[in-house]
Amino acid sequence: MTITVSREAKEFRRKVMETPGAEKLMRCYQCGTCTADCPIAKRVPEFRPRQIARLVMYGQKERLMEGDLLYLCAGCYTCYEHCPQEVHVSEIVSALRRISLDEGHLLPGFKALMEGVAEMGYIYEIDEFENEMREDDGLPPAPVPDTDGIEAVMRATGFLGKVEASTR
Amino acid sequence: MKYAFFVGCTTLSRLPGYEKSARKVAEKLGVELLDMPGSGCCGTTYLETLDHKTGLAVAARNIAIAEEMGLDVVTICNGCTEVLTKANRELKENPKLRAEVNEVLAEAGKEFKGTVEVKHYVRMLKEDVGLDAIQEKMEKSFRGLKVASHYGCHMLKPKEILMSDDPENPTVLDDLVATTGAEPIDYPNKLECCAGPVMGVRENVTWSVGLDKVKTVKQYGDALVTACPFCYLTYERCQLMQEENPNLPVLHIPQLLGLAMGLDTDELGIGHNKVPSTVVLERLEG
Repeated sequence: MTITVSREAKEFRRKVMETPGAEKLMRCYQCGTCTADCPIAKRVPEFRPRQIARLVMYGQKERLMEGDLLYLCAGCYTCYEHCPQEVHVSEIVSALRRISLDEGHLLPGFKALMEGVAEMGYIYEIDEFENEMREDDGLPPAPVPDTDGIEAVMRATGFLGKVEASTR
Repeated sequence: MKYAFFVGCTTLSRLPGYEKSARKVAEKLGVELLDMPGSGCCGTTYLETLDHKTGLAVAARNIAIAEEMGLDVVTICNGCTEVLTKANRELKENPKLRAEVNEVLAEAGKEFKGTVEVKHYVRMLKEDVGLDAIQEKMEKSFRGLKVASHYGCHMLKPKEILMSDDPENPTVLDDLVATTGAEPIDYPNKLECCAGPVMGVRENVTWSVGLDKVKTVKQYGDALVTACPFCYLTYERCQLMQEENPNLPVLHIPQLLGLAMGLDTDELGIGHNKVPSTVVLERLEG
């Protein structure tokens, strides 16, 4: 496909590069160390960290926001550690996830996970049933999280509101 | 030695064998692990990728509880380790960010002061208890047993933040394995991620990553040890899903240590391990 670097594309690139950790994008010389060492890229042909960096340079937002692409990063930091230019593709992926949340495109599984943390204080429900099992194992009851406090914190930053409004 | 013990959601609800063995081995070494009242999820490694400040605040709320207890935090999940360590460092080093996060934390009646450290259990064992003191507690030996360590990513990386071990050549788990008399082994792709974090996105990718490691380790060793609930679940579950189970025993590191210390299998929750540890137990001498 023809690539046109429109004003919107440049604006998108600027937005990504404003995110702390993603500032060094333009240092990337496309050596592909990130893709070669990525445990996900080995199994998922469409997940290419080098390509993600290149697509951001050209502001190809639609292609980046497609499907579950941004959520395939395991956050293992192998690309972060191995990049000879300290581009930190993992941080670029984080910047892209933040934009996807801002625009209401959070992956449904992530939406449920984050709402769960706010509601239960844990990523799973840990209540009487789990505590009975724990007791059988001689373990103390799980700490009871201050769910009101956790929810208030997640709401005060505006994050929870964005998660709830995400409609993908 | 006393620490605030941050168990983490996944171990609390899914892996009693990990928690039991971690507590028992600590007790045997004279380490007190105190529960953290009101603590909850660390925030997950995902949250910080979606919203930096919220990630810091949710993590800092837990750290603030340890600060109130006046104790450093010990974690047993790599995810929690990374999230809490990152938040702790960033908030200690950046007063402006700390002020912003504390404003949000006031909603939960907490304040981050920056008075404690966070470390993974295995680091606490090696750095604070010491390998010699651990060695002294050993009553039995796994002589001749070849044990592969899987470190997992978030115990080590990013290096400049975790500063716990060399991410390209880590030694802490292998050193602990050696105290049991077992032979710590190297194997190809030792440092590869378990891909646990994408289990909820594309499950088959995680199973494929997991099975590759299981098959490799099978060629070189007798068992695999982990220090993270997500890594553990990946290597256990990927085997159970095969028509022919490769039957590579996966143990939580404190389980291996505890067995060599003479603790019994019930105390260490070995029965909860879904791939039988028979071949490991049979090799215990003394």
